[in-house]
Amino acid sequence: MTIDVDQDARKPAPEPGAYPVTVGWTEAAVAVKSILSLKTPVHLKMNVEMHGPLLVDFGHHAFSWSTPLELFPVDAVHTGLETIPTTVDAPPYFELPGQNLDGLLWEMGVNSFGGAAAFWLSADERYHLTRWPNLTHHKHNLSQVRMIAALGNGYASATELAAFAGVDISEAQRLVNALSLMGILSRSASAPAPVAVAPTVAAQRRSLFSRLRKRLGR
Amino acid sequence: MTTGLHMKPAVVKAAETLLVDMRAATSSLSYAALLTDDGFDVARFPAKTDGARFAGMASSMQALGDAVTHELSIGASEYLIIASGKGHVVQLRVPGQELVLSALFDNDATVGHALAITRTFAQKMAGLLA
Amino acid sequence: MAEHVILFTGPMGAGKTTAIQSLSEIEVVRTEANNSERHIVDKATTTVALDYGEILIGADEKVRLYGIPGQQRFNFMWAILKKRAEGMVLLVNSDAPDPIAEMLFFLDEFRELYDRGGVVVGVTRADVKAGPGIADFYDALERTNPDLVIPVFTVDPRDRDQMENVLLALVANIEMRAAFGMASVAGAL
Repeated sequence: MTIDVDQDARKPAPEPGAYPVTVGWTEAAVAVKSILSLKTPVHLKMNVEMHGPLLVDFGHHAFSWSTPLELFPVDAVHTGLETIPTTVDAPPYFELPGQNLDGLLWEMGVNSFGGAAAFWLSADERYHLTRWPNLTHHKHNLSQVRMIAALGNGYASATELAAFAGVDISEAQRLVNALSLMGILSRSASAPAPVAVAPTVAAQRRSLFSRLRKRLGR
Repeated sequence: MTTGLHMKPAVVKAAETLLVDMRAATSSLSYAALLTDDGFDVARFPAKTDGARFAGMASSMQALGDAVTHELSIGASEYLIIASGKGHVVQLRVPGQELVLSALFDNDATVGHALAITRTFAQKMAGLLA
Repeated sequence: MAEHVILFTGPMGAGKTTAIQSLSEIEVVRTEANNSERHIVDKATTTVALDYGEILIGADEKVRLYGIPGQQRFNFMWAILKKRAEGMVLLVNSDAPDPIAEMLFFLDEFRELYDRGGVVVGVTRADVKAGPGIADFYDALERTNPDLVIPVFTVDPRDRDQMENVLLALVANIEMRAAFGMASVAGAL
């Protein structure tokens, strides 16, 4: 059974051109988010052009793919998304352990929606981190580390995060999308503005974090 | 496989006897302990004290002493002394063994005398285990 | 000279000495003795006082890395070393009998650092044997302190890159916690 993405999206699909949409991973991310939200036991098979099939076993929090995540194809085109109904006790979709699903969710989340908010997120909300992603196993940059640390210690919107880290809003949004897809972000429409003031660029340069990252050559 | 000397009854007995003899040799000995390099209490005098904490501390001291002499490139550490108003602790390795003898002398004893006694009994302990 | 002290804590055999060696720019000062209890933990040696390493950030600034001896009989060293620390890397090994209990034990022993968010937990040897998953560690952390979010990573302490990631995450967390006006570790970074 293939998912009709338009039917399952919580909001109506955006007008063409109203969002910059990355073809492929965006639709896949919406499908994955639906499955994770509904919690009905299904497996997911993604047919990715020029790559082997990507299989996801949600019950075992694992995926199987011949393409390594280090070579994640950000512009991949999906030729199909299939859900395969299963049951809680059914055998795994592929030979376990497979790879940890979090790694895939991270890459998918960062590389979908073209820098805009994921469809299931609203404007005017603030976010807070509930758990850190396992950063030693996800390709990441140090602005993301700062933003994750900010979210772990307060509530912030994507705009506010971008100001803290001194990055484009789209960078902050990509991170928020990924953390949300991974299920480690809580959302609040009513959390107040963060107490912290976005540090000036000069102040950031004076922080131990920046000095240390420079010293470590990152 | 190294089984701790603190767990060998024959060693513990020999150590206990040695410390009693040490006390007999000098009345200024207030406390003495034999401990493993990694901080386990083998025997102590007086026998009925809880020597666990001191054994850990003495092994840390021993290792730090070694680290200092290594850092300064002055060869191996031979003995440590901690001097205080009420007495001094003299500490050194039992030659050829992973054991340390650490002893507290009151200020009736000179440092030289304390050191000599401690060296003698460390040597005796080495002889017992050889 | 501006100094920052980072403590490496956790039980014996988790990889503290190794982690400091991966990060340190100087030869690490070690205080190892032969392990009398190989039947309990199969390691040839054990740290009996501390490990010491450094990262030199500039002419006037360094990060001092101190490793505690993991065994409880050396807990007087923990008291000495915790006084100076701004943050800590807590390493537990996945194939120990109860790594979560070990984590909670050390978080309690170093409560002041934990309460200020100055902790990153590193789970070592997670590839060697499937121990508790990271989610289980987070569940335990949430039960202990639901208002505090600290990172838990799987790490290989021999891997310099991974250990640098751990250190940067720790520093970022400490700074962000301070920026948000929450109780923070002593001193401004």
